[in-house]
Amino acid sequence: MESLVLNGLINGLIVGGVYALIGLSLTLLYGVLRIVNFAHGEFVIGGSFLAYVLFNSLGIPPLLALPVAAVSFFAAGWLAYYLLIPRLARSDDPEIMSFLMMYGMSIALAAVMLLMFEADSRSIDYAFKPISMKVGPIYVSTARIVAFGVTVVISAALAWFLYRTLPGKALRATIMNREAIQIVGVDVEKLSAFAFALATGIAGVTGVLIALVFPAFNAFSGAEYSIIGFIVVVLGGLGNPIGALIAGIIYGLAEQLATVFLPQALAQIVGFGILVGTILIRPTGILGWRAQR
Amino acid sequence: MAPERRSAGAAPGERPVLELRAVDVAYHGDIRILQGVSMAVRPGHITGVIGPNGAGKSTALRALYGLLKPVAGDVLIDGEAVTGMKPWRFIERGIALVPQGRSLFNELSVEDNLRLACWSFRKDQARVAAALERAYEQFPMLKERRKHAAGAMSGGQQRFLELGRALALQPRVILLDEPTAMIAPKLAAEIYEFIHGLPARGITVLLVDQNVRQCVRIADHVYVLELGRNKVDGSVGEFTQDADLRSLIAEWVDYRIDA
Ligand SMILES: Nc1ncnc2c1ncn2[C@@H]1O[C@H](COP(=O)(O)OP(=O)(O)O)[C@@H](O)[C@H]1O
Ligand SMILES: [Mg+2]
Repeated sequence: MESLVLNGLINGLIVGGVYALIGLSLTLLYGVLRIVNFAHGEFVIGGSFLAYVLFNSLGIPPLLALPVAAVSFFAAGWLAYYLLIPRLARSDDPEIMSFLMMYGMSIALAAVMLLMFEADSRSIDYAFKPISMKVGPIYVSTARIVAFGVTVVISAALAWFLYRTLPGKALRATIMNREAIQIVGVDVEKLSAFAFALATGIAGVTGVLIALVFPAFNAFSGAEYSIIGFIVVVLGGLGNPIGALIAGIIYGLAEQLATVFLPQALAQIVGFGILVGTILIRPTGILGWRAQR
Repeated sequence: MAPERRSAGAAPGERPVLELRAVDVAYHGDIRILQGVSMAVRPGHITGVIGPNGAGKSTALRALYGLLKPVAGDVLIDGEAVTGMKPWRFIERGIALVPQGRSLFNELSVEDNLRLACWSFRKDQARVAAALERAYEQFPMLKERRKHAAGAMSGGQQRFLELGRALALQPRVILLDEPTAMIAPKLAAEIYEFIHGLPARGITVLLVDQNVRQCVRIADHVYVLELGRNKVDGSVGEFTQDADLRSLIAEWVDYRIDA
């Protein structure tokens, strides 16, 4: 039992790190652009497929796929922003339009991935040496440990950027008061394009990590990660980056420990329990920070 | 009812630094919030805008600053039409806005709030330092609290930060929307004196205010908005003497100019 709990804790941390990154990128998008990105899970899985293709056709190992995913997804996000988002602002009801657009994008991206990779679940046949490591009394796969290390480094770098540098503070300032950032002379369109690119870049990188952490993924996996992302965003407080990181870890731990302590049917609804519970008891999220409009 | 007196525009020989010309604004689809509103900000003066709550004063200011796009009419800077110019471009043209309500980044420190206002020249360390120093010199309490979160300060202190942030960039025009709303009377009086002194420092002022007495006292020229239209505009001399105007104002505020 004890080692089961330890197992749950360690895997909870590892999986939670992935959820934290999904939540962070999603909360940035929501905070800066006020966009609920239903396609975020597909962005993420796109990163997993990129790692898959890089390894299978070019022999590029997942760790090297990380920077490729970061750069290519960042660039794609930048492009997508200018293609899609300024058009929204011209519509009569930008909020509803953005909902519909991102939902449509989610379906379209899943369909494209289905077309390219078919419905089978994929995994990357890359093995680290040694294949697993002993952590206390239990064995954890090296791939998962490496993924966790990468998650920690990326999270720390992003937290440093957002909380210690002026461009990062400008992003957070936009979340706090979107009108005020414009009147102090910051081009909020450029900043939004950057936020969109950054969030997309993080999504791509997270996808590569998912290929390391989870046994498999397929064209339809995105929806599941979108939902987890939304729960993490709400739990962390809308538009709160640090909140999202902490909430991701909490969610991962809850999910993994639930499989230890609860019957399987119940374990699956833990996430929704967290979502509903947060909205009822603490609608501003764990850190209790109320986003200024 | 007071008659429309004359078309809004500059006094002869003086080109307005900033102008709204026959502007219509609609919020959702077709509901016109402003209809044909015109006003001109004369250089070196304080121009006041008064009117009852909901008259469209803030809407006019937001249209002026590019935060709302007019469905008709024009915004002019130095006589040049800039309708549709993005709000963040106004600072480079020397025009600063302190909007109604709070415009600070609550979670960020006082200093970071000021630094963000230096965004367009953020790489120029010396210039940023000079801008910060200007704000601190103006309001020394800001320097003492530079590490404090802006949102944790009192209402008055936050207002000083907003003013200091606007003035740090040495604007030639400052637009103020109800600068003493929710501020204790003693502090409000201080703020009015401060505003009154701005033209002498080369800063032109557009002051939107519900406080008719103070606005009329320090302004050189006053516009009255009502129901999204220009009601009247005139010099303050006309204002204080014109019985029609006085009774008009008395209609929507419990206030008499000669009181
Ligand atoms: N964002 C908005 N959406 C819809 N109507 C608005 C909005 N902001 C203001 N209004 C309406 O526009 C009118 C003018 O408001 P405002 O410009 O704030 O008046 P004032 O500043 O003179 O008090 C009011 O009737 C108000 O209800
Ligand atoms: Mg107002």
